[in-house]
Amino acid sequence: MSVPELRICHLYPELMNIYGDRGNIIALVKRCLWRGFEANVSHVSLGDDMDAGEFDFFFIGGGQDREQILVCEDLRREKGEELRQAIEDGAALLSICGGYQLLGNCFITYTGEELQGISLFDARTVGGETRFIGNIAIQCGLEGAEGPTVGFENHSGRTRLEPGCQALGKVLKGYGNNGEDGGEGCVYRHAVGTYMHGSLLPKNPRLADWFILHSLRRRHELERLPELDDSLESAAQKAALNMTLQEKRWWRRRR
Amino acid sequence: MTWLSRGLGLGAGSNFPGRVILRLYPRAPEDMASLLTRGCVLVTGTNGKTTTSNLLAGMLRQGGLQPVHNRVGANLMSGITAALAQASDKGGKPQGDIGLFEVDEATLPAVVSRLKPRLVIITNLFRDQLDRYGELETLAAKIDGALNQLDQEAAVLLNADDPLIASLGEGAGAHIYYYGIESEEVGEPGLRHAADSKHCRICGTPLVFTANYFGHMGKYRCPNCGASRPSTDFSAQGIELEGTRGSGISLSTPDWQGEMFLGLPGLYNVHNLLAALGGAQLLGLSKGDIKRGVEEYSTAFGRGERIPLQGRTIFLVLSKNPTGFNEVIRTVESEGTGLVVVTALNDRIADGRDVSWIWDVDFEDLAPLPRFLVATGTRCEDMALRLKYAGLDTKTISVEGNLARAVQAAVDHSQEGETIYALTTYTATLDLRRLLTRMGAAPGYWEEG
Repeated sequence: MSVPELRICHLYPELMNIYGDRGNIIALVKRCLWRGFEANVSHVSLGDDMDAGEFDFFFIGGGQDREQILVCEDLRREKGEELRQAIEDGAALLSICGGYQLLGNCFITYTGEELQGISLFDARTVGGETRFIGNIAIQCGLEGAEGPTVGFENHSGRTRLEPGCQALGKVLKGYGNNGEDGGEGCVYRHAVGTYMHGSLLPKNPRLADWFILHSLRRRHELERLPELDDSLESAAQKAALNMTLQEKRWWRRRR
Repeated sequence: MTWLSRGLGLGAGSNFPGRVILRLYPRAPEDMASLLTRGCVLVTGTNGKTTTSNLLAGMLRQGGLQPVHNRVGANLMSGITAALAQASDKGGKPQGDIGLFEVDEATLPAVVSRLKPRLVIITNLFRDQLDRYGELETLAAKIDGALNQLDQEAAVLLNADDPLIASLGEGAGAHIYYYGIESEEVGEPGLRHAADSKHCRICGTPLVFTANYFGHMGKYRCPNCGASRPSTDFSAQGIELEGTRGSGISLSTPDWQGEMFLGLPGLYNVHNLLAALGGAQLLGLSKGDIKRGVEEYSTAFGRGERIPLQGRTIFLVLSKNPTGFNEVIRTVESEGTGLVVVTALNDRIADGRDVSWIWDVDFEDLAPLPRFLVATGTRCEDMALRLKYAGLDTKTISVEGNLARAVQAAVDHSQEGETIYALTTYTATLDLRRLLTRMGAAPGYWEEG
């Protein structure tokens, strides 16, 4: 049997790469290579043609308002539909913050501008007056990646999931989707949207492996992934989790 | 006010005395600054504020002026107030003739409206601590608002190599000057991942770069609307980079041309020199004063100091955001391989609580260099993990949250006469400096001023 190969499509890398988002790509690539698998990353951006069938995993990071508007317009041409079809066909996807917001039904910015999403997630986002900023810890409910998961959030958008739409996990500390209902992120098939940015996958190796396994299973028969030495990953996760849970929240929220 | 500030006993490095003064006497900064006969100069930007203003302070002293200067990165309104108070006599009159203040980017509008500066120098804007400042564009709009408040007689000195900075001051009545690097051969082959302002601020089109110095610094133009890098008044025409030792630079200004050696490493310090030199020229200093100021310059706190410790030399360099860190790595690369390295990553408020920026640093370039690396600081595990994914052998990495033990480990793993490279975030630099002072290695930075 051929060596498993993870084909990664990094969408809008030069526009949507705020807050160390590329750490997620680095983590997926390294965790494939360490197992003797292959991994390839393709960059697809504004105006580029995308053959969604050529990829097993898609990634969109966060961006500033101006970039988000450009990407929103581009997604509404053909890419959005292609992306939705790929997810229906079993591909995996991770979208963070600004990227997550554009994959819902709509995003109404704080200034009242309405950006139409591609409705991959049955969710809507409304810009708020204050920003939700800080370390965040959740209990991830994803089958095969259950457990505490840590990151950092920095968003003014409040996302609400429609009934029947599944969250990524429950907030242990922090704000999550909207600071009110205790949910964080969104899952549809193997597509995940979340506000947990930056080094989400490096410090949460179970989640990283969930994406690798489900992406590879599209074309390869894999029961499970070979084990890796995750002692540094676990130490970093544990340290961040303890720090986040013990943190006293006294600083001001900012817009 | 002076006794109040000293009585509070926290030295120039703290914002606390200033906060107390502002509470008791809200108009203190305006009133004290209005007594400065030569007015005020402000230096702002993400990177290089401290080095630029320290270089400029040295030049001003050579020119016979007495700058009132906030020296230790205390760059909020409270820190500026404390600096003014500390340099004042009992009647509240400043014992100096010109104010020279480094100002936090987000605080600039408030400081401009209160101090009415005669010159504002803006070095660059990088994606630093977005959790504190919000988006770059928002920050740029705020700075534009501040520049619009300036008097017609005031001057603004901008970095032409930073597309975002060069676009500032459109509606300002003040006269605008530019500095930049004209020596294209010192550039890199392409833009780095961490580059921030890659799109035209006017029309949003990706900029075309004909030279990349570092980060998003370079020569550029917009292929759509034709906006391009402004021509420079103060420039570096040729640069010889000599690793951590410094650089030889041939300089050009409207009044003179000449060569100088700057004992500070890296291209980013060439920018700092140009900013200080341009400022000094605009304030009327002579070439001789400027040159002596550069020669006499003692390194700004933590920006590339060499500190002897137990027969070793600690090379301490502040590394606080992706572009700054990439440049530090580029400098350390010139020192060869088999190095002993300390990284200290803190996530206190002054560092930014969010440490995900380390994933935007090209640590892949650092990975081949160390034979021993100890990761310390409040987020040492995050840094160790970043280095593992950058390709550093985990057997080479030691994780030690305690700074004193981390420094000892680096000493133990190095030999007599060797250099230990300490790459530290802002508060970690403070911590390490304090620790080294306690260990008898470095004089307290408060003794420098």
